[in-house]
Amino acid sequence: MATKIWSVGAGKGGVGKTFTVSSLGITLSKLNHNVLLLDLDLSGANLHSTFGLPLTQNNLRKFVSGEKSIKELITLTGIPRVSYVQGFWDNWTPSELNERMITELFSQVRELPFDFVIVDLGAGPSPTYLEVFKRSDERILIGNSEPTTVEKTYRFIETYVCSTLKERVSSEQYLALEKALRDYRWNQGKGYFSFRNFLKTQIGSDLNYSQVFEERPIHFIVNSSRSRLDQDLGFSMKSVCTKYYDFPLNYLGPIDFDNAVWQAVRNCEPVLIEKPFTPIAGQFLSIVKTMTHTNFHSNLYKAVI
Amino acid sequence: METSRYNYYDVLEVSPHCQQHEITTAYERAKATYAGENPAIYTIFSEHEARELLKLVEEAYQVLGNKTLRSLYDEKVSQVQVKPEDLTYENLKSASKAVVPDLNKKAPSKPEFQPDPEMENLIKKSQDWTGALLKQVREYKKYSLERLSEITKISAYYIHSIEKNDPKNLPASVFVRGYVGQIAKVLGLDEKKVCESYMRSFKSSGN
Repeated sequence: MATKIWSVGAGKGGVGKTFTVSSLGITLSKLNHNVLLLDLDLSGANLHSTFGLPLTQNNLRKFVSGEKSIKELITLTGIPRVSYVQGFWDNWTPSELNERMITELFSQVRELPFDFVIVDLGAGPSPTYLEVFKRSDERILIGNSEPTTVEKTYRFIETYVCSTLKERVSSEQYLALEKALRDYRWNQGKGYFSFRNFLKTQIGSDLNYSQVFEERPIHFIVNSSRSRLDQDLGFSMKSVCTKYYDFPLNYLGPIDFDNAVWQAVRNCEPVLIEKPFTPIAGQFLSIVKTMTHTNFHSNLYKAVI
Repeated sequence: METSRYNYYDVLEVSPHCQQHEITTAYERAKATYAGENPAIYTIFSEHEARELLKLVEEAYQVLGNKTLRSLYDEKVSQVQVKPEDLTYENLKSASKAVVPDLNKKAPSKPEFQPDPEMENLIKKSQDWTGALLKQVREYKKYSLERLSEITKISAYYIHSIEKNDPKNLPASVFVRGYVGQIAKVLGLDEKKVCESYMRSFKSSGN
């Protein structure tokens, strides 16, 4: 099986990216997969803390400076089949990765004998994050039910949509697209405004929009869900993305709010190791199974529900 | 955009081959999204736009949520030339009536009876109510045996026996009295008078 690269991002900080990355990794490892977690949060490495591991010199900086390959940076986490690569902590040095480095990173990672590589991105669509996000095999966004997070999640998706389109349209068309987005509220006629429909009238329908994104969907998880309303937020956001962007946002499901999470984080231990029987372990299992057995699991789900 | 308005499956975001219950789930989710204050529409759709979307969703569900209308809609969409106005809820509903007659509609009204002064006079004056006279009045007022039975919930067989003054085929006289009262009421006669007079002749003829 070829190495699958999943990247986990979020529009807003503090919604639980790193927690999700470590939990997804542990869940995959329980299913007998070899997993590498890659801490690419440029605003400061954090992943090692969820495993209770110390900061070391052996981090991604060595890769950026060209001293070491990714293979030499791999550290064990103490959990069977889960390894990780530590991120930067020397933030006084500029940290954005250029395109050449990202290409190098991906080609090295794909050579490694792992089944899954999960990349922990920082918050927001910065150029490096966006580039890594776009090149990954699967893209996962984390959000919660706060309006601030919802807003930033849409901004992230918007950025992703535009930057993906940028590579596929002429520069003139892209300028028209940007202008369209900026002016849209003032051009609103009757009915509801749809970015997709507006784009059609501005650029013409020669752009194979839906096919482009059908192959590049974003998966979405609602973290710290406290009610049925929060759980259903993912479906609502999916509907909004379809109606507004005609973009396939694939809702993977909720992760419930659980006191075990902050307790485990305080102890610097992964939740799924400290409290393996917490209900969210089941939710992560369901998410991982949806991701790894796309057709099987969704059809089974349909049959059962 | 005006034509896509009538692609109800798109509006509800379901596949055209989905099960009926999936349509209901999709509708409930869409309604939760666009009605009220759902954070999911924040910064994307204004209140006004959400209302517009809700209208579309409601219309789509009016059609797809009804099995008959849904199959009619599927049929119309598959036709080569279909006018968008054929796909509105109102037009589909009226088209469905041609296929499935409305069961709730009342049966065609009974033929109107013509008031006849001679007959009215007879009814007014009559002191001696027999089965035959009841039958005469029933036919004069254009009630068929079945119709009367339907209204009074008395079996047509009993009504027939009452009209024939046939106690052998009738239950105890206390019930017969009740039946006659009901029949008289429906026929617009004086209940008390008819009952007393009928029961007098009924008892003397039977026992």
